[in-house]
Parts: sequence; structure tokens; C-alpha cells
Amino acid sequence: MSDRLTRRDLARLLGVGLLAGPLGAATRGGGDARAGTVGIAPLAADELGQVAASGALIAVSAAIAAATGAASGEAAAARLFSAGDTVGIKLSCLAGRPLSPRREVVEALVRLITAAGVPAGRIIVFERSSRELQRAGLPLRRSGGPYLCYGIDNDYDPLPSDSGAIGSCFARLVSTHCTALVSVGVVKDHDLAGVSAGLKNWYGVIHNPNKYHDNNCDPYVADVVNHPFIRGKLKLTLLDGVTAQYHGGPAFRARYAFPLHRVVASMDPVAVDAWAWRVLDSERRQHGLPSLAEAKRPPRFIATAAKYGLGVGDPSRIREVMA
Amino acid sequence: MSEGLTRRRLVVLGAAGVASLAGPRGLAARSELEVGKPVSPDALPAREASWYKRLPERRVECQLCPRGCQVADAERGSCGVRENRGGTYYTLVYGLACTVHVDPIEKKPFFHVLPGKTALSYATAGCNVECKFCQNWEISQFRPEQVRSWWMPPKALVNLAQRLGTPLTAATYSEPVVFWEYVRDAAHAARSAGLRPTVVSNGYIQEKPLRDVLPLLTAYKVDLKSFRERFYKELVRGELKPVLKTLEVARAAGAWVEIVVLIVPTWNDSEAEARDLARWVKTNLGPDVPVHLTRFHPTYRLTDLPPTPVTKLERLWQVVRSEGLHFVYLGNVPGHPGENTVCPGCGATVIKRLGYRILDNRLKGDRCPDCNRKIPGVWS
Repeated sequence: MSDRLTRRDLARLLGVGLLAGPLGAATRGGGDARAGTVGIAPLAADELGQVAASGALIAVSAAIAAATGAASGEAAAARLFSAGDTVGIKLSCLAGRPLSPRREVVEALVRLITAAGVPAGRIIVFERSSRELQRAGLPLRRSGGPYLCYGIDNDYDPLPSDSGAIGSCFARLVSTHCTALVSVGVVKDHDLAGVSAGLKNWYGVIHNPNKYHDNNCDPYVADVVNHPFIRGKLKLTLLDGVTAQYHGGPAFRARYAFPLHRVVASMDPVAVDAWAWRVLDSERRQHGLPSLAEAKRPPRFIATAAKYGLGVGDPSRIREVMA
Repeated sequence: MSEGLTRRRLVVLGAAGVASLAGPRGLAARSELEVGKPVSPDALPAREASWYKRLPERRVECQLCPRGCQVADAERGSCGVRENRGGTYYTLVYGLACTVHVDPIEKKPFFHVLPGKTALSYATAGCNVECKFCQNWEISQFRPEQVRSWWMPPKALVNLAQRLGTPLTAATYSEPVVFWEYVRDAAHAARSAGLRPTVVSNGYIQEKPLRDVLPLLTAYKVDLKSFRERFYKELVRGELKPVLKTLEVARAAGAWVEIVVLIVPTWNDSEAEARDLARWVKTNLGPDVPVHLTRFHPTYRLTDLPPTPVTKLERLWQVVRSEGLHFVYLGNVPGHPGENTVCPGCGATVIKRLGYRILDNRLKGDRCPDCNRKIPGVWS
């Protein structure tokens, strides 16, 4: 019993502290000069969809620099992360290797975080399960190497924590271990949510995402990200948009995939999803498909996330900065 | 608190017990799986679901529960235990028991089914609703790969029941609707072995799968969580209407039905609601269907409420009885007279209980020993 009370109290205190503190304020959309800013860099793939590590590093550096207004990727990373951080990088690997963040893109990000002084043992690339990481081509590693890489694999908090309409056990990586978080997603259509990019990626850190797919995942996606475990720590969203998918998601469907050849970064997690929505709708129009709203799956959670103050959801206020 | 911990411990111990009892000599339905042994989260046995239809673009529509999830490739339904793989829908929990335990049948609770007998009770992970007061959330609200489970296909389950001498089986604890194929085949195997299969459910199921399994069941208990849609919407993430339909179908099909209503303070504890519920039961199911009013204890996501005051339960007990229902019980109040079965004809106590124990069973066959009135139920 005492354990329950302590954890709950701790979560509440943590939430209040983060919301009231400077860390929370720094990453919000409203008063932040970078709110609504999306940094975009080109990254081409060969005919097999593969990218060179050197090209990925250039693109990721440029996108993050553009997103943050820093002079370089290293300078941007130094603004976002400090040597004392434990950085969790959440990947979106449900679709398997063809439509998951590429290892080269992830490792480019890791290099920048390392350059900011974060030790290799405190950079954790993770997904819901180790199996998904393996399938996406990431090397599993719980010690050694330039970064750690493993699945949550059922390591959740023992008790659920509420945020708006959701009540979930969060991965302990997110609730307890990490002090800074990055969402690394892709640009793809989702059968129910409309868009699966940076925000929905966080469904992978709760134990019961299957409960929250009705009403186009609204307000649930926003509720997950609004939880202090994430809201208070989320520093960056990075999308591997080398290959994107405008229909038939969230699984990979080759016939609906298209070469976008972009890496996209933002300190504003809502703006980057609004950008992805715009890109997907544009591509859908080109293929004669109805917009996501007309297909009855508008990503409503974007507006809800904006309403929560997580960032800018109004597409007309998204500022694209091309690197 | 103690209940939560006890329950978890019980689940673990129960399953461990099964593992040791079943042993490697049990039935091995699949070469890679061994009866009674843990199943790796990375190797869940997938079996094509029985109630779904294929949709364009590799999507499927589940036809098991009223939610009717339309599920894209690589996604799961709301229950978390059914997955679309390339346009074919699979159950990931067939034969995958996360708990197996021997319980008194009174614990289900069935008060009119073989009093004093035991039921081999089993469950898998998953549920199709999300009650904020779920006592078994540590298995019901998780996916199968998140819960330790053991390979226990239907025949192995029945073999175990026979070895343990339990005349009944019970699909229970989490939500049997989500492992309905397993329930169906286990019930069939139990029948064939001369056992009595029962189900303890939320009743949130479509009519076709319900009718497919009902004839196999000895008894069917439904948690009627409230008589108000608001309660179902806000605390359960489900709907009332389909549950009422389930009760009507089950009763009309001749299944022995008992109803449990958990009384949650401030949510479903009004006399008006109790009266509406009692009237509906009497009109649509008849006065002989037992109704158990049980005491809430704070748990899961509803920890800011106190346990239901016993005086409140007693008042509702009076209200429901006053509407003409013959068998109204109080639950989670051990030693209360509301646990006893009283003859509606002469008022004599025919079965006296203390918690899950039978202190005295005076039934003569299926009749009151004092006035010879028939007491409905499954008594032999």
C-alpha cells in the first residue's frame, strides 16, 4: 500500500514540478520562438531505399540546426541536451524495416547527442519490444557500443497513471530512467488516427494503446504526450521521411509508399505532425484519394495537442525552414 | 491493497501450480509448445479467429463483441489479443492461460449451481472493456505478451480438472469474450468429459458468437455493471444495451443465468437505478434469476472512492427484493444474511453460507424442505 501511495504522490509532485518549472516552459509551443518551426533537409535513398551514413549525418544535422536556429547540428544538440542527461530515443518500428526509421538516421542523431557530452551508456534507443527493433535493423545492445538499444519488453510502472482520458502504466524508461526524450518516427498514414508521425509514436510507451484508438485516437494521443513523463522531457521530434506512405497504414504497403526524401526535425512536436498531415493529404490528392478528413480519419489529436499547449497545430502557422 | 497483492500472488501461484501438475506428459497440441509450460512472449501461438469478416485493403472487422473493431493490417483490436496479419484475423490467446485455479463455485459467484463444488477456473490476458474499478486489471488490461502465460489447450485443461476432481470449469477472471474460441472448445471438451462448463462474463458480446457457445454451457454469469448508459460510457468504455440483449438471449436460450451488480458509491448506488434494474430483470428475465449486489473496494483507476457502505448495500437489497425478485444476494460481505438462499414460498433458509463456504444445505433435490417449493438452479 505504501508503495502505491508513494508512487502516485511522486507522479503528482513530478507533474506539478515539471509543469511549473523552466524545463516545461522551454519546450512549450506558446512562448517559444521555435514553436511552429519545422526544419527540413533533403536525404535521398538509392533504388533499394538505402541511405549512406555520411548523407544521413549531414541531413539530420541540417534539419536539427534548421529546427532550432543553431549554427550546426552539434550546436543544436548542445542546446537540447546536457552531459547529465539520460536520453531516450523512441523509434516507431511497427511497420518493419521498409517503413521504420533507418539505422543511419538514428545513428546520426546519436552522434550529435554524443557530441553534446551525453555518455554512450546514457543514450537509449528503444521501442515497445526488442523484436521490433531487430526487425527494423537496429542492433540490440544493453551495454557497450556507441548507444544502448533495447525494447521496453514489459518493463512498465506497476501502477497506472492518469492523463486526461487515458490511464496507463508507462514504460519505466520514460517515467523513471530518462531525463530527455526524442521521438523518431516516420511519415505515414494510419487507418484510425489518420497520421502516424511523431506524436502517435508515444503510444508505444504505454501498456494499453489498444484501448485508445476510437474517435481517431483523440484525445488519447494528446493525453499520452501531455503526461508529465513525456511533456516535461520531450526535446525533439525527428522524422525519417526518406520513404513515406500516404495510404494503407500503419503497416507497410509498397503500393502506397512514396519517396519523400526528407528528414524533418522540430522542437515543436505538434507542428511536425501538422506538417506530416499536410504532406500526406497533398500526396493523397495527387493519387485521387480523398483527404484524411474526407476519409473520416482526420488526425484530430493534433488540434487537441495544440489546445493543451504542446505546440502549434494550425497548418497556416507552420514555418518550414529548409536546410 | 491486500486484495490486489493477494490476487496477483494467487494468479502466479495458481499458474505455477498448474505447470507443476500438468507436467510434460500432458497433451502437446503443437510441437513447439509444451502443456503447462510458459510460452515465450515472442512466440505467441496464433490461431485464426472464428468471428470476423475480411474487408478491402487487408482490413478486417471483428464480429465478436459489439465494439466491432475494424482493424488494419499489423494492428490489434481494442481487446489487445486479436491481431490482423495481412488481412487474416488471429486470436493470440487460444490455449494461452495466464491463470488457472481451483475456486469454490460460490466465488464466481454462482449460488444456484452445484453448491459447495469447485470449478477449475481459467483466464487469458485481455478484455474488451476497461472498467476503472477492475479487480483483475493486471491480467485483463494487458496484452498476452505482457503477461506470463502457460500453454494449456482445451483438452489439457479438462484433463487437469479431472485430475483435480473439479466437476465444473469456469472461464473467468479477465473477460472470456476475448478468448471465446478457447471457451468454446474448452466447454466442448468439458462436456465430453462429463464436466460442467460455466462462464463469468461482462456479457458484451455479439449475438452470433453468444448463441454458438451458449448450448455448451451449464451456467452463464453476467456482470451487469449498471443500469445506466452513462456508467458504461464513463467507467467501463462499453455500452449497456448489448449487455441487456445478451441477458435476454441467454435466458431465452434456456441457459442458467445469474447476474452480478457491483455497487460503486456515487455511481450506481441510487435506489431509483436499483429499482429500474430490478423491474427490467423481472419483466425480461423473470423473478427467479439470482441477482448479486456486491460491495465495491477501491482499486485500479478508481481509488478515490470508499468501499460501499454495508448499510447502502442493505438498502438496495431491500429495494430490489421489494420489486419481486426472488433471489437477491449480497456479496463481499461475509457472514451477512444476504448470502443465504431463502425460499420465496415460505421464507425458510435453504442454503446457509459464510463467504464462499456452504454452512448448511437443506435443499431436498431441487425443493424447499419445508414447503416443497421448487428452487430454480442446477443442483445436481
